[in-house]
Amino acid sequence: MSSKGNSGTIVFALLVTTLSAALLAAAATILKPAQDENVLKEKQQNILSLVGLNGANDYKKFEELVQGVVIDEQGSPIKGLEAISLDLASEKKLKTKNPSYKVRYPLYIYKDKEGKVTYLLQMAGVGLWGPVWGYLALDQDGNTVKSAIFDHKGETPGLGAEINTDGFEKQFNNKKVLNDQGQFVSIKVEKGKHDASMPHAVDAISGGTITSNGVSKMLEEDIAFYLKYIQQNSNNKAL
Amino acid sequence: MSEVLVQPPAEKKPLLGKKERKLLTDPLSDNNPVTIQVLGICSSLAVTTQMKPTMVMAISVTAVVALSNWVISLMRNAIPSRIRIIVQLTVVSVLVILVDQMLKAYMYDVSKQLSVFVGLIITNCIVMGRLEAYAMGNKPYPSLLDGLGNGFGYGVVILTVAFFRELFGSGKVFGFKVIPDAIYEAGYVNNGLMMIPAGALFVVACYIWIQRSFAKHLEEKE
Amino acid sequence: MSTLFLAADLISVFVRSIFIDNMIFAYFLGMCSYLAVSKNVKTALGLGVAVIFVMVITVPLNWLLLNKVLKEGSLAWISPSLAKIDLSFLAFIMFIATIASMTQLVEMLVEKLSPELYGALGIFLPLIAVNCSILGGSLFMQERDYEFAEATVFGLGSGVGWMIAIVAIAAIRMRLRYSDVPAPLKGLGITFILTGLMGIAFMSFLGITL
Repeated sequence: MSSKGNSGTIVFALLVTTLSAALLAAAATILKPAQDENVLKEKQQNILSLVGLNGANDYKKFEELVQGVVIDEQGSPIKGLEAISLDLASEKKLKTKNPSYKVRYPLYIYKDKEGKVTYLLQMAGVGLWGPVWGYLALDQDGNTVKSAIFDHKGETPGLGAEINTDGFEKQFNNKKVLNDQGQFVSIKVEKGKHDASMPHAVDAISGGTITSNGVSKMLEEDIAFYLKYIQQNSNNKAL
Repeated sequence: MSEVLVQPPAEKKPLLGKKERKLLTDPLSDNNPVTIQVLGICSSLAVTTQMKPTMVMAISVTAVVALSNWVISLMRNAIPSRIRIIVQLTVVSVLVILVDQMLKAYMYDVSKQLSVFVGLIITNCIVMGRLEAYAMGNKPYPSLLDGLGNGFGYGVVILTVAFFRELFGSGKVFGFKVIPDAIYEAGYVNNGLMMIPAGALFVVACYIWIQRSFAKHLEEKE
Repeated sequence: MSTLFLAADLISVFVRSIFIDNMIFAYFLGMCSYLAVSKNVKTALGLGVAVIFVMVITVPLNWLLLNKVLKEGSLAWISPSLAKIDLSFLAFIMFIATIASMTQLVEMLVEKLSPELYGALGIFLPLIAVNCSILGGSLFMQERDYEFAEATVFGLGSGVGWMIAIVAIAAIRMRLRYSDVPAPLKGLGITFILTGLMGIAFMSFLGITL
């Protein structure tokens, strides 16, 4: 091919490097807005789908449709923070690294035409292979689950990955997170037959025990957190 | 396989002469990169549970093979042979990053499904194999065609595999249900084997079996 | 308590990456060299060791690269003003550069230390650079967001898993010479089927609760 000396090789290498770097930097800069928008859009669509807003363009009106609040560990709202840009997974990760870290949670509040409130909760946890996350719609009473969706990054197809199928998600409809005494008991994901008489449990994924346990843990941790805010606020409003 | 494809320098010819057409069609059957040359199987099987991501994967690989063949062929006389491999890797990586960024920006859903496998196009043996065997010794235009042909050859195999896996594994083709509910009610169930990795290997093995039964000269001795 | 937890976590990553999440049986990564170099157990073993070696070095190295240089906010250790820079779009090219240079190093080492093995592995050593399982290891490390220790253990486990797979298939293929395989299936076809069967066998490890 070439019998050029070292200088030729170096010049060539530099040329290739500079050209590729320029090309990549340009592409990354140009495409970044579209990529960020995709991520945001997916999140907004997920949240809206909880209350049945599945229209292709609903996410464009996200800010009008739901009101976001960021809440702290006492359950009081933090001003000046945008809920949608808060990354819950990394908040929780900071907490595991440093137990004194004060986590913040994003909560979305949806009011329908009659003024009935639905709380839209965002949750984050860990499955078998990596992150799992979900969104859950809680009724005005802070007890009844209206709907839930889950997703995952790399759970096993056919096993743990089943958490984002209708079959698993629909089980959550009308489940309760509080017992008859009004104490928080969460919803457990466990093996066995489950029907309407068991308001605090759903059937686990067969072959996806670790993923199911991860979802259970996530529900317990995160719903408890949101309830502090929801209970304080629904008391004021005198249901 | 390189001897088969290396040709004498081309004279003036129509856009798609006989030789050019051969470059495009050969990799579809007799010189298929996946089933004959045993290249690029790595990424081809993991994404084939559904046809849609497979299609995107096939297009991405074709684009990368064709363009990298063309770019390397353009530079082939200038590349110092000592840093040949790293230059090839750089060109391929740049193209793959571009593909990945495009997918993230315009086909977000599919890019999530393909996850790490887009990045793995870099190490898809077809890409590097064609660069070494063809692009380094041939003119840009035939190299481009050679890349396209090999990309198509790869695409045909993985799409076939994906077709059977999706049809029998989930009763769908390109995400549309084709097996009617009545059949499910009569007791038919989806074949779970198709959804697990091993299913892909069996389908490819059958593909090879059928292909080689019809083309005896492709059989291996051992 | 926390060290105990960490150790348990590392063991689980290790076992998973060898058996359940096997590079060959679960992801088909590194199939090219797996098919090409598996006609003889000794060569297979040599290549397997080389893969483990490269994997153990490159996954943690790439982890450092990713978390200390490329990710958004990862340059903050140099100066807070650099925290906003996000170079993660360069991840692929940086990973492959690390891998290519490490492979070169292994090649030189093998040539020096064991010329016999070098002769046997022949052209396949440079091919480690384009062995999908090596790049795959780094990409999975990025996608699964491992910690440094986990990344190292994951690299080791994936390499070991890959070696087990190639040595096992090489042993089977050596026996296969004496069996009566239909002519069109000889070579490639039967190897695919065998790999599939081994993959199914490996799936039984999914039942392990870790």
